[in-house]
Amino acid sequence: MSVDEDDSEMDFSEDDCGYEDYYNTAEDCDVEQIDLYKTDPEYFAFECLNVEQVERLLNESVEMLSNNLQITPSLAKMLLHNHEWGCLTITAEYRRDAGRLLVTSCVKPPVPPDTSNSSSSVGMRISCPVCVSSILWDKFSSLCCGHSFCNMCWAMHFEVQITAGISTGISCMAKGCEVLAPEDFVLTLLTKPQLRDKYQQFAFKDYVKSHPQLRFCPGPNCQVVLRSKEPKAKRAICSYCKTMFCFRCGGDYHAPTDCNTIRKWLTKCADDSETANYISAHTKDCPRCHICIEKNGGCNHMQCYNCKHDFCWMCLGDWKCHGSEYYECSRYKENPNIANESAHAQAREALKKYLHYYERWENHCKSLRLEEQTLTKIKSRINIKVMNSSGTWIDWQYLMDAAALLAKCRYTLQYTYPYAYYMEPGPRKELFEYQQAQLEAEIENLSWKIERAESTDRGELENQIDIAEKRRTTLLKDFLEV
Amino acid sequence: MAALPRRIIKETQRLLQEPVPGISAVPDDANARYFHVIVTGPEDSPFEGGLFKLELFLPEDYPMSAPKVRFITKIYHPNIDRLGRICLDILKDKWSPALQIRTVLLSIQALLSAPNPDDPLANDVAELWKVNEVEAIRNAKEWTRRYAMDN
Repeated sequence: MSVDEDDSEMDFSEDDCGYEDYYNTAEDCDVEQIDLYKTDPEYFAFECLNVEQVERLLNESVEMLSNNLQITPSLAKMLLHNHEWGCLTITAEYRRDAGRLLVTSCVKPPVPPDTSNSSSSVGMRISCPVCVSSILWDKFSSLCCGHSFCNMCWAMHFEVQITAGISTGISCMAKGCEVLAPEDFVLTLLTKPQLRDKYQQFAFKDYVKSHPQLRFCPGPNCQVVLRSKEPKAKRAICSYCKTMFCFRCGGDYHAPTDCNTIRKWLTKCADDSETANYISAHTKDCPRCHICIEKNGGCNHMQCYNCKHDFCWMCLGDWKCHGSEYYECSRYKENPNIANESAHAQAREALKKYLHYYERWENHCKSLRLEEQTLTKIKSRINIKVMNSSGTWIDWQYLMDAAALLAKCRYTLQYTYPYAYYMEPGPRKELFEYQQAQLEAEIENLSWKIERAESTDRGELENQIDIAEKRRTTLLKDFLEV
Repeated sequence: MAALPRRIIKETQRLLQEPVPGISAVPDDANARYFHVIVTGPEDSPFEGGLFKLELFLPEDYPMSAPKVRFITKIYHPNIDRLGRICLDILKDKWSPALQIRTVLLSIQALLSAPNPDDPLANDVAELWKVNEVEAIRNAKEWTRRYAMDN
């Protein structure tokens, strides 16, 4: 990737690039986006923001609302946080019934405070209901609910709440009072700088979490926030740490499977892992000569090093039968008479079905990891070749592209298995499994060709890349629903 | 040990001078934050006639944090588990620094009068309370007789 960026000469020679900005005027923008959504089922517009950019974005909303309604920024922020940052809905609601909005948002108490006994004179001492100490009246504070407590107690209250991880949800100290403490109230009374920082960090997290367009990057220790105007279950990639995830659920990207299904599947896999573990052992015997074979590459087209028998790692069938027309190894054949069988047999059948899908899911996951190793091997092989002046670095780049595409295709293939597992039997499932089988066959072809790159013709490999990606896009176009 | 906050001293004094009917709370000789509590089973409840021992502890940040309360006497109640832990909102998220030991103990006494099987802590007890209230109440009376009556 970095090579592409450094390769500035290439950029200049590509004329289209230079013109893109020229065409990308405001009017054309929409047209172009619609096209992208049509041609690429995974197309997703998003941007990566740092903390300052997010703060600016949030502050813009705060400022706008506070100007629209002539309220303090602190109050505007509370309302936005409580209403998913929907400036327009809040404005409309506020204009219709401001009192009701403020009460339901816990900004104001349902009953206005009793102000009859609030007459205070200089030097007067009052007893604080929390610490029962008698304190000068000007050392007291209250929220708009009028519940008055001494500033020391407020600060202690905030400290305990913040230490428990609560920030935007800190409420009044009075019994049963749900009025929330706005940011400026907390920060005025909070004296310890450490806790002020903590409060601001926690509050920032709360604001991002309540904002429908924003997501924290789930990458470890990554501070990036991703923003999309259409928060869908699509593929988002953090520009900083490269973590790829589903924008909706924040989990690993899982097309064509949807968020709920993948959660169900992963829970099931975690629960049933013991049963499945022995099946997904790392070795299998060659179906012809029965020598023990350990899989050390991602490709599922195996060739026994002993007897040279070509077979499929998944179904252990002869690879010759895996021509695309007959490739059925990805398809699970349901027992048609299962309804008449005993409960015991049904349970066994259910387990068998699960294991069929689990095995393939797990296997492609492993293949992905193994192909990463293949990629490092390829890199070193390319290096040696370049050093020996058999081709230049650029000549061999297609191989890297092929490996990247293989990973992308196999990733999607992996996530087709949970999808298929939860599908109702019927013509749609048949179509899905047909396309899945086609994709799988092309991926294994590609993997085989990449592992033997030196002897593979470049044109042939590029052709294979094209076919595999087409199959993947076709499947996603037909089945990815977001 | 740090000096006892004025708030705790005041509360303790008032608890001893004007005790709540049916509740006694006495601080431990060695630790003024630890209270020995006895709640009498409310009238017209399955716990009537029983004396229930509880322990109450005021944590370091009391009253900003709720006191920790636990039944020591075994009790058959849908909101109290086998370890005596109590499911009561004001001991958790509804705690307010304006609440006191006195109010907490009153709430616990009220919980004995009005069990809430829809917000259970002891699941098996709550289940029976919902499915067969007569039998559940019989169990509660039996436990009260067996564990909470002086013999």
